[in-house]
Amino acid sequence: MARMKFYCDAERCIECNACVTACKNEHEIPWGVNRRRVVTIKDGEPGERSLSVACMHCSDAPCAAVCPVDCFYTTNDGVVLHDKDICIGCGYCFYACPFGAPQFPEAAAFSSRGKMDKCTFCAGGPEEDHSSDEYKKYGRNRLAEGKLPLCAEMCSTKALLAGDANILSDIYRKRIVNRGASVLNWGVSYDNSKLRS
Amino acid sequence: MSKLTRKTSQVVAAPGNLRANNICQPIDKSSSVANAVSRRSFLKRSGLMAGGAALASSVSPVMMKKAQASNSSLGDIKEVKTVCTHCSVGCGIIAEVQNGVWTGQEPAFDHPFNKGAHCAKGAAIREHGHGEKRLKYPTKLVDGKWKKVSWDEAISDIGDQLLDIREKNSPDSVYWLGSAKHSNEQAYLFRKMAAMWGTNNVDHQARICHSTTVAGVANTWGYGAMTNSYNDMHNSKAILMIGSNPAEAHPVALQHIFKAKEENNAPIIVIDPRFTRTAAHADHFLQIRPGTDVPVIWGMLWHIFQNGWEDKEFIRQRVYGVEEIRQEVAKWTPDEVERVTGVSESRVYGAAKAMADNRPSTFVWCMGGTQHTIGNNNTRAYCVFQLVLGNMGVPGGGTNIFRGHDNVQGATDLGVLSNTLPGYYGLKPGSWKHWAKVWDLDYEWVKSRFDKGSYEQSKGKDAHVMNTKGIPVSRWIDGVLEDKENIAQKDNVKAMIFWGHAPNSQTRGAEMKKAMEKLDLLVIVDPYPTASAIMHDRKNGVYLLPAATQMETYGSVTASNRSFQWRSKVIEPLFESLPDHTIMYKLSKKLGFSEELFKHIEVKGEEPYVEDVLREINSGMWTIGYTGQSPERLKMHQENWGTFDYTSLKAEGGPADGDFYGLPWPAWGTPEMKHPGTPNLYNPALSIAEGGLTFRARFGVERNGDNLLAEGSYSKGSEIKDGYPEFSHTMLKKLGWWDDLTADEKKQAEGKNWKTDLSGGIQRVAIKHGCAPFGNAKARAVVWTFPDPVPIHREPLYTSRRDLVEKYPTYEDRKSFWRLPTRYKSIQAKDYSGDYPIILTSGRLVEYEGGGDESRSNRWLAELQQDMFVEMHPRDANNAGVKDGDDVWLEGAEGSRVKVKALVTRRVSSGVAFMPFHFSGHMQGVDMTGNFPEGTAPYVAGEAANTAMTYGYDSVTQMQETKCSLCRITKV
Amino acid sequence: MTKLLKTILFISFLLLPQIAQSNISSNQFDESISIENPGAELWRNVRQRDGIFEGTSQSQSTDANFLINITGEAWRQYRMLDLIPKAGIALLVSLIGVLLFRVIRGNILLEAGRSGIKILRFSTSQRVIHWVTAILFIILSLTGLLLLFGRSFLIPMMGAEAFSYFAVGAKFLHDYLGPAFAVSLVLLFIFFIKGNMPSLKQDLAWLAKGGGMLGRHASADRYNAGEKGWFWIAAFVGGAIVVSGFVLDFPIFGQSRETMELFHVIHTIAATLIVIASIGHIYMGTIAMDGTFEVMKTGYCDSNWAKEHHDLWYEKQLAAGKVPAQKTPTKSS
Repeated sequence: MARMKFYCDAERCIECNACVTACKNEHEIPWGVNRRRVVTIKDGEPGERSLSVACMHCSDAPCAAVCPVDCFYTTNDGVVLHDKDICIGCGYCFYACPFGAPQFPEAAAFSSRGKMDKCTFCAGGPEEDHSSDEYKKYGRNRLAEGKLPLCAEMCSTKALLAGDANILSDIYRKRIVNRGASVLNWGVSYDNSKLRS
Repeated sequence: MSKLTRKTSQVVAAPGNLRANNICQPIDKSSSVANAVSRRSFLKRSGLMAGGAALASSVSPVMMKKAQASNSSLGDIKEVKTVCTHCSVGCGIIAEVQNGVWTGQEPAFDHPFNKGAHCAKGAAIREHGHGEKRLKYPTKLVDGKWKKVSWDEAISDIGDQLLDIREKNSPDSVYWLGSAKHSNEQAYLFRKMAAMWGTNNVDHQARICHSTTVAGVANTWGYGAMTNSYNDMHNSKAILMIGSNPAEAHPVALQHIFKAKEENNAPIIVIDPRFTRTAAHADHFLQIRPGTDVPVIWGMLWHIFQNGWEDKEFIRQRVYGVEEIRQEVAKWTPDEVERVTGVSESRVYGAAKAMADNRPSTFVWCMGGTQHTIGNNNTRAYCVFQLVLGNMGVPGGGTNIFRGHDNVQGATDLGVLSNTLPGYYGLKPGSWKHWAKVWDLDYEWVKSRFDKGSYEQSKGKDAHVMNTKGIPVSRWIDGVLEDKENIAQKDNVKAMIFWGHAPNSQTRGAEMKKAMEKLDLLVIVDPYPTASAIMHDRKNGVYLLPAATQMETYGSVTASNRSFQWRSKVIEPLFESLPDHTIMYKLSKKLGFSEELFKHIEVKGEEPYVEDVLREINSGMWTIGYTGQSPERLKMHQENWGTFDYTSLKAEGGPADGDFYGLPWPAWGTPEMKHPGTPNLYNPALSIAEGGLTFRARFGVERNGDNLLAEGSYSKGSEIKDGYPEFSHTMLKKLGWWDDLTADEKKQAEGKNWKTDLSGGIQRVAIKHGCAPFGNAKARAVVWTFPDPVPIHREPLYTSRRDLVEKYPTYEDRKSFWRLPTRYKSIQAKDYSGDYPIILTSGRLVEYEGGGDESRSNRWLAELQQDMFVEMHPRDANNAGVKDGDDVWLEGAEGSRVKVKALVTRRVSSGVAFMPFHFSGHMQGVDMTGNFPEGTAPYVAGEAANTAMTYGYDSVTQMQETKCSLCRITKV
Repeated sequence: MTKLLKTILFISFLLLPQIAQSNISSNQFDESISIENPGAELWRNVRQRDGIFEGTSQSQSTDANFLINITGEAWRQYRMLDLIPKAGIALLVSLIGVLLFRVIRGNILLEAGRSGIKILRFSTSQRVIHWVTAILFIILSLTGLLLLFGRSFLIPMMGAEAFSYFAVGAKFLHDYLGPAFAVSLVLLFIFFIKGNMPSLKQDLAWLAKGGGMLGRHASADRYNAGEKGWFWIAAFVGGAIVVSGFVLDFPIFGQSRETMELFHVIHTIAATLIVIASIGHIYMGTIAMDGTFEVMKTGYCDSNWAKEHHDLWYEKQLAAGKVPAQKTPTKSS
């Protein structure tokens, strides 16, 4: 069985946020909920790099571990999904997740958060594939249509990759080989421009 | 123990088919488990208007695409191919439409430009199908209140007032401001409409975007356009970007740049005052002081000449005037370069060497280079740099000028400009006669539409108004505000027609407000009300007409690389909006010239037939080879995206076999000639018939005794093994090729040249003999017709470096320049640097486009950029007592100020501040969004950067200066 | 010890080639090698290796600027491996303790039997506040326990779907009654502080005698040290629960995840402590000692009960003439 993963190539991500809007577009995500976001490290300084981050569909998912109602499950493709009918909106998954993936439609008094929402790897939820309920709760189920997550499919520089982990590593390995391993090829030798020559 | 039934998806998800080995190709649709695919079927349009409610914090958003279970079938969804309407990359889009509702967007993996990729804007383009904040019906301002009116009433009102102004003032008192967002056909009709109205006061965004490029580049080697293509950068061994930030302005271009970077180990060189997101991925970064492009280029050339890295043979064969350049460059010693630009010798040397060592190297520039008072000098300096390195006319080289709007190349080509007719024919009597012939109209009738008399002299004689350049869009406010006596036209501008233009993209916002208030009539034709509807305090005389977006109509669009792309209609126009060409028909009918305007264009109901318009374009645009791109060929290319090669853009097999994608102009001759288009300009390694080219013979054959024609260089298969002038009937006869014309062609070609022969015979025969119809000449490094023949540095009007003003002064003031007095020295004479110590520059954000009225109305985009801001260096922030996130007043050197948030960052260097220009809705601290018609205010509003931007116009094209001015920043 | 040695050896073995490498580098490529590898730096920052590193993001959601939150994993480990098991054990132990106590001591009867003379011990408002607090406390404890242990005990029995209904109700009650409990706890504090101030000599004496369990009678004023202890546990631990609960219940001030995690741990520990303490209190207040429950039920205590448990207070009441001379007629209770 395939094991679905995301990988974001920091050497290519340019923080264009296409992944973010593609996700919003595909699943009609409301304002304030960000299933995917781009984080920039060292913004505006040499060494600036961006990474697109969403649910990483962990093998040992912390969200699933801490969920008091056990609403998470992992599909045969290695996609971590959750059941919104069971979710009570406690927020524990948000505390536990290293990536800040779980999102809540509100953050109101009395811990009213609504049902947790997160990246589904475009794989819907426990409802019947392509059912109206599934769409309303989880968005489109692209995996069942034979497609991959739209964020990665639309990535402007193909920095964000999605798919079977083995294939992703093959792609990334090829890129590394192309780029070469020279210390001079670390990408920011603009401080040492003479060295490039 | 009951457990959940946990289904897993049926897909053995294995993303196969890794076409380009660096591209993640997802599951091939056809090879996927087709049986498992059951498509959703959607409810009808009923869900559409409720879309806005999805803003509420409900996790189950109100869906446009309401899914139903299994009773759907694949047939329910229609896939429509179209092209993104944001930038000039021209990304393909596959829209999924069901029952007339745009329900989904799929990546166009087979599209040769973007391979399914998008930036934030392209990935959010389905919002066009929501249109929550659109202008929904014709509206007029009555005593300060917006009133809904019918189309007929609106057109009738506007028409009456326009005719009144025409009568009372002059045809030139109506300003026709077109758009780079129009399709080619609409742009062409717009230009034609202005001509029929009888004015040259017609222009569009290209004036304030790449006009200096077009002028500078065309005057160097023939055509003012991107010479190669985004895809061709795969072949580059080095890439230099100056004043260009594709990571934000053209994100999908980075896909191609990274391919070169990774596979060719091509060094990336970024020259910019800001450490942009592009610079973050560069190998060399040269942080120049704004406005010092010429010094840094000459500084690089200094090293190139010093080390003998120039391509001597190329220069000998194909370039004129390098010696004069050499003399100027000699003045730019490393010390002087560092003194003026702030960049050290080692960095300049490193960049120069990287470009010289890794040829073919390509050169990219954008608005950071063009929007200056010396913009034309900058663009020519860039060209000279590439000529000296011999990088022109080779794959992987060239000047890759990234255009801005999706169809700014097309609209420029189609002459929505105050200085030319379509196809850069200019405004000479011969040009008008050519077009009158194409239009099948009486030249005298066209002439009669213009003001009588003369505004200016040409060669000692009075020039007719129709042959006089109009007011450029950058200066329209002066056309309104300037004293009548100072303007070289009969009367001031009294009516403005904003047909797809954002006013906040233009400088001097506070004066623009005054100008808008002084007008008799303000008409806005746009899918959105735009800032033009609200930035003033008018009470009457404003009309808003809802135009359809390009997703709601169809036609062709020209990408930056000169490729034509066909757009199909995705959805019917929402609300009461109408396609632009339909509105043009309605208005021209009211104004009384629809018969002439559409003489050979079929009008169905009220909608002109787009294919007919394109055929008319094909029949007249010989100068730049807009002739081979018939609607049939373009549609065929659209159908066969997947057959074009990702790097060469050439189709291998299939119906488009041998064609380059989108028939990049020039696609010589008639469509029947089946010219494949020219992927890279001036590449002599291919024959003309295969898309090769030479430099254009445009500037004569000889100057001061020097030969201007190419020497020993000619395109593959050329029967003339040397330079030659442009083709005409006399030249054909001299060469003995006249009899290659058919009898019919002979009849039409007699007395004509390659530009005016409507049969296309002269071009056909020239190409048959392997010759470029426009001749084979040298490029000129010295443009003797410009104010600065050799590009030189001149300090900006508002400069903080007073010590350099004496050595690098600006121009003398001009009394009448494009009909208007234009100031240079009188502004620079005053020292503003004491009161306004910080250099102000501006640029783009990836989430927004242009004036931003459309993208800020897109909730998916607006959520990502909610505040207008100014980037300032920590040192400047500390000096002003400002912390990150504080509100600050930024006051421009002319006294207009904007209230924005401070973003303290080292992205800008100390003493430089940067603002994005996409915001509008606030004016000098006042929130004007209350002026919007109900329900049309964008999600995000803010101060327009250009409110604080100051005076300053290019010495050739009147390009506005938006990249270096002065300001001061204080805490609120 | 050998293990440590082995580790050191192993690490130096790993480092050997690196050291050799760096020697070569410093000779030949010293300039180039001095360029910091931005990739390594990136991931070091991302993984928060050198402390908390905040990036930037155009997304506005809470903590969107952090790529990896390392505290979440620590919280998870603590919660799943320490907190839940240990809290469970502690609760179990305390229940067993009470049970043992019951078995050993059995019913503690009034030595002198009942006099039938009733002394007013708690005002109506005190009793109302006590019972409101008590009821809220019990609801919050039960719902809290349900959320803490439900997954371990109830889901295996009823399945996640059925449990979800309970959990939704439990969360709702917990979140909305928590603030009410906070109010009642404050009132409780105000209404009961009188007499609960520690009095060192008395309280130590009382404690020394094990509250009368160890041999002789221990004298006490209005409240004995045990009761005072409960009062102050309620005040402080309850206060911690209220404060931490407030942070968790009102995620509207932009609290970071770290804050929430910290307060969640505080909340759980404090709640466990107070539940354990409450088990003692409930036992002692209900069935452990004859005549005690009726005091909070009716507000009056038997004079003999007062003499035996709060002799000093009884004397004060006597002196103040608040002890009726005659049996108060009561409905048999």
